[in-house]
This record gives sequence, structure tokens and C-alpha cells, in this order.
Amino acid sequence: MKSNKKAGVFVDGAITPDFISRSIEKHSHKKNIGAHSIFLGQVRNDSIGSNEVSAIEYSAYYEMAEEKFSEIREDAFSRFSLTCMHIYHSTGLVNAGEISLFVFTSSVHRKDSTEACSYIVERIKAEVPVWGKEMFVEGSFSWKKQN
Amino acid sequence: MKINILAFGQIAEIAGSTEWESQDIENADNLRIYLEGNYPQLKSVKYSIAVNRRLIHGNEKFNDNDTVALLPPFSGG
Repeated sequence: MKSNKKAGVFVDGAITPDFISRSIEKHSHKKNIGAHSIFLGQVRNDSIGSNEVSAIEYSAYYEMAEEKFSEIREDAFSRFSLTCMHIYHSTGLVNAGEISLFVFTSSVHRKDSTEACSYIVERIKAEVPVWGKEMFVEGSFSWKKQN
Repeated sequence: MKINILAFGQIAEIAGSTEWESQDIENADNLRIYLEGNYPQLKSVKYSIAVNRRLIHGNEKFNDNDTVALLPPFSGG
């Protein structure tokens, strides 16, 4: 998994548990933080009719998505008292059971980090131009619909 | 007058292209008529329009060289 140079948020393929644990570790020197909240979106093996999802292939309107991520980031910082915030979203193929979205907020007290984390996830789902193509075990596909 | 059209997801699949130029489409209503005339399948697909990376609502007028993106419902995360 490597970072897309053009975009700070997008990473190629799945977000690995190793990457997530290293992100947590990087905060150990910031000793004013008292709470971290993490949201991990995992690709689900949904059944659609008789088809089972084996992976999702993500694509995006990268330029617009990056602007939206910045806007969400700024809004979250102004709305909540956060020490740190990180957002990573996969692009390309992510298998069922793997992580495709990683939102990580940190604050002095827990309320800010938990509320900001949820706020950011909801806004990403509603406003960022990313599309998931559900690839079926059987070889066909369908375009993912948001719940 | 020319606009640059970008298509994503299911819209790109229907149009068979992700990027092309089009002449003499002056506003969003004209664009929808043009698209649905060329790609009848789009009549039954929901999509929003972004001009220069900003979502528009209603019949906004385009300017020369605008980048007009066709965005199916988002499904990230």
C-alpha cells in the first residue's frame, strides 16, 4: 500500500492493519492527547440476488474529492476541539474483509474525538465523489449503492 | 464555445468514455438533453453535475472551457 502522491487521502488498495498501528504509534509523543477515535470501513461480502461481493473497486473524481476532504477537515477542526485528524480512503481494488476507509481523530478529552470521527464519516459518505464497483465472485459486477 | 465533459462510475460505462469535449452546450438543461439523446440509458440513471469541481443545482449556464463532470450517486467509504 503506497500513498498516492497527487492526493494525501487516497491510498492504492487496502489500508493494512500494519499502517493503522503505525499511525497510532506515531501519536505516542503527543502527550496532550487523551483520546483517539478510529473508524474503519471494511468491505462486506454482501449478497446481491444470487451474487456474492468478493471485492470493491473504488474510483474517484480525485481533484474534487481532495477539495471535499479539505473542506470536511476544516469544518471538523472548527467544530470540534481536535489535536489531530487523519483520513485515508482506498482507491482501486479492496477485497471483502479488508479496510477501505480509515478515519482517525484525536483530542484532549473523548467527546471531541468521538463526535468528530462520526461527523467526518457521515460527511465523507454523503459528499465525496467516490464510487465503488462491487465485483462478484462469479465475475460480473454492479455499482454500489449507499445505505 | 466548448466544454470539457468528465464522466465517472456508471455514467462513464454507459457513455463508453471518461472524458471528451463538446461544442455549443450552453447550460445544464442543454447538457441533459444532449446526453439523453446520445445515451438513452441515462434517462433512467440518477446523476449530479459539477462545474469546475463545484456541484450545481438547476439550470446553470456554462462558460467556455468549463469542466463539467457527470457524477452518479456517491458510494465511497
